[in-house]
Amino acid sequence: MAQPHVITAPSDAALIAAWQSGDERAAAELVGRHARPLARYLSGAGAPDAEVDDLVQETFIRAFRAVDRFRGQCQFRTWLLTIGGNVLKDYGRRAARRKVMPLDESVRDASGDPHEQAVASEAEARLAAGVKMLPRLQREVFLLRAQQGMEYEEIAAALGTTPGAARVHYHHAVRRLKEIFT
Amino acid sequence: MNDAKNGDARLESLAKRLGASAAERLDVEATARKVLAGLRERPAARRTWIAEHWLRIAAAIVLLIGGAIAVRRIVPVDSGNEHSHLVADDLGDLNAEELRAVLVQFDEILGSDSVVSDSSDLRELDAQELRAVLRSLEG
Repeated sequence: MAQPHVITAPSDAALIAAWQSGDERAAAELVGRHARPLARYLSGAGAPDAEVDDLVQETFIRAFRAVDRFRGQCQFRTWLLTIGGNVLKDYGRRAARRKVMPLDESVRDASGDPHEQAVASEAEARLAAGVKMLPRLQREVFLLRAQQGMEYEEIAAALGTTPGAARVHYHHAVRRLKEIFT
Repeated sequence: MNDAKNGDARLESLAKRLGASAAERLDVEATARKVLAGLRERPAARRTWIAEHWLRIAAAIVLLIGGAIAVRRIVPVDSGNEHSHLVADDLGDLNAEELRAVLVQFDEILGSDSVVSDSSDLRELDAQELRAVLRSLEG
């Protein structure tokens, strides 16, 4: 009897190694795996909707160029999201210099997009506004934990802090956000 | 207690939906193509920049060290002058009698054949002259 042929997807580490040896398909596969969670993260962290595509691309380009420095201290996705945080911060600085709508004061505008208008509840919009007002570290820890479902150990490894400190940042963030809802 | 737990759960549930529409709208294949195009456009820009950056730093260090060596060779440093300090200048507050005492002490340190061995000569000098003697002894 023939054994069922099981095809296992290559791990992120294998794809990274393939990319480092010049395999572009490996890079495309990594983009396919992580682009949507990255877009969610950037949007949740305050990226204007019109900029999410560009910020996702910029994050991947930065990550692939710096991939030699990724030592597997955390998952590739976590590392990618922290790079996304830096890309978003740089975008905010550029926007402030150009006197475009500053990141933290930008208001989610659902009025122009009927789909988003239908989907985004009032509570979601309030949460999004609240998350944007959090200090950067609290915002990143909150999103990595609550939105991306990561463990404190993983978050701490990516942000260069301790799991205890990550937990404290998370609880401060939750306390602040709850104040918005009460 | 339950209210707090419900609040946390509601928050986490809302957080999980944050950015969902932006993620749905993202064209992943197009993103991958654009990322690869971006990497091809400027493939080693960063590495080149780093190499240039370090070369410049290394060149600056070599220039600095070489320049310092050259300056030291061209302009001899007179370490004696750098630390020269006349004791006589510190004795401005002393009167003639005290200055004589200093000179006698100095004489004892230097030996018997010094200029001020005969302390009777010192009595004829006033404070200004005694200071001049001290300065001359210091060189």
